[in-house]
Amino acid sequence: MDRAAPLSGIPRRLRLATAIGALLVLLGTYLVSATDRADAAAGRAGADFGANAIRVAEFPADCTYSHRLPDDPIVFPGLPGASHMHSFFGSTVTNAKTTLPDLVNSPTTCDPRVDVSSYWVPTLYRDNVAVEPAIATFYYLGEGVRADVVANTQPFPQGLRLVAGNAKATGPNDSIARWSCLHAGHVPPSKDFVNCPSGTMLESYLDFPQCWNGRDLDSPDHKSHLAYPVNQACPSTHPVHVPKLRQVLRYPVTGDPSRFRLASGPGYTMHGDFFNAWPVAELARRVQDCIRPVIKCGHDGRPI
Amino acid sequence: MRQPTAFTVLIGVLLVAGCGAGQRDAASTATPPVTAPPATTAPTPTGTAFNPTDIAWLQLTVAMTERLLPVLDLVPARTTDPAWRRTATQVATTRRADLERARRLLAEAAAPTTNPHEGHDMPGMVTAPEMTALRAASGQSFHRLLAGHLRAHLAQSVRVATAEQQSGVQPGTVALAAAVVRSGTTDLARLDRLDPG
Repeated sequence: MDRAAPLSGIPRRLRLATAIGALLVLLGTYLVSATDRADAAAGRAGADFGANAIRVAEFPADCTYSHRLPDDPIVFPGLPGASHMHSFFGSTVTNAKTTLPDLVNSPTTCDPRVDVSSYWVPTLYRDNVAVEPAIATFYYLGEGVRADVVANTQPFPQGLRLVAGNAKATGPNDSIARWSCLHAGHVPPSKDFVNCPSGTMLESYLDFPQCWNGRDLDSPDHKSHLAYPVNQACPSTHPVHVPKLRQVLRYPVTGDPSRFRLASGPGYTMHGDFFNAWPVAELARRVQDCIRPVIKCGHDGRPI
Repeated sequence: MRQPTAFTVLIGVLLVAGCGAGQRDAASTATPPVTAPPATTAPTPTGTAFNPTDIAWLQLTVAMTERLLPVLDLVPARTTDPAWRRTATQVATTRRADLERARRLLAEAAAPTTNPHEGHDMPGMVTAPEMTALRAASGQSFHRLLAGHLRAHLAQSVRVATAEQQSGVQPGTVALAAAVVRSGTTDLARLDRLDPG
């Protein structure tokens, strides 16, 4: 269906466009890398990484809340209103009919502005009133696998669509959701909502899988073209190591968890959708400069 | 050292992504051109093309209908009102036929037989607690609950079937969507007469 579909149906013109696109990407990467080389020479004083670099493979995108719609262009493409309510972050244009070309030139709520990807989650309700995160951070990480695997991290392909978490979870056991409290580490994390003391915030963590099959932008269940690592490495079925996307949402609510629900159900049904629209060269540069050498970068994708 | 590294890495990425994969046209996989068609179509064994909207709508129709039928099956035990019984039988007959057509089309599309929406509470779907409440109700209170769920189901069915008519491409699937819009609209009007509330 949606996977690597129209192999024979693509007109010749599109193939030519792809070839030209690839050449432009090559050129773009060369320019970026050349610029970067100059920066490195100026700032890194001859070392492979700066003496002050923080040895964490990471670059972030902070994308504030954009809009709500009962739409899901990954699970219900072309079917507005088919989904439970979603809260969207990043690209401001996403709806049921969104495709990659719509995202590529769209406005975004992200810092950095170059990230025009779309991220969405089921809307959180407190007493049936929608609550949006005060802080929404999407970390791109190189962790959970061996150092040599991190050193071979590849960027996500542009247009990748991916769902993480289990919207249909019937209990905590079939969920990877994680709820905790910001500034209240003594409250134990849980797969369902937790009771956060006043003055803190309710947090949701969700890690996306980081091993790609190297072939498909999507799959029938929107998950199985990626896999989680096994024994600190990517399985042979999904050999390409990509950044681990960690979604961290901070909601300005505390107190009695029985007042909370997600549009998809209890806290353990938390899930996240990611539609990658990063410019190819920008994402490649961040993977090269931050993830592979294990350097903590800021929103601009430069070492902090 | 960084310049060759950048090139090597990029070429590696392009190879992995399938751009160098020979007979496989990579346009639809790793780096689709920005001019790619919005909804990709995949050839099926019979040569009839389904797009992602067709598949998603068929799967959703199956899931929604499978959730509705047990509600309608409760009707004979919960009410003696002949008008409600007739309506329930009529809607169930129509929806069962739609369900069979949807399943046949999914088989034709070679789409996964697993229901991606199983256990998933979507708009227009009766939840487990609502089902429990229905089982406990009878007479007027049952009519009221039933009318609410039936109206929500039919309205949502008409809404997504209308979207399928606009964004779907496979002729049999679009025809089924048209039938769902027609029967759903008729059933909604019938429901309004039965339950003007």
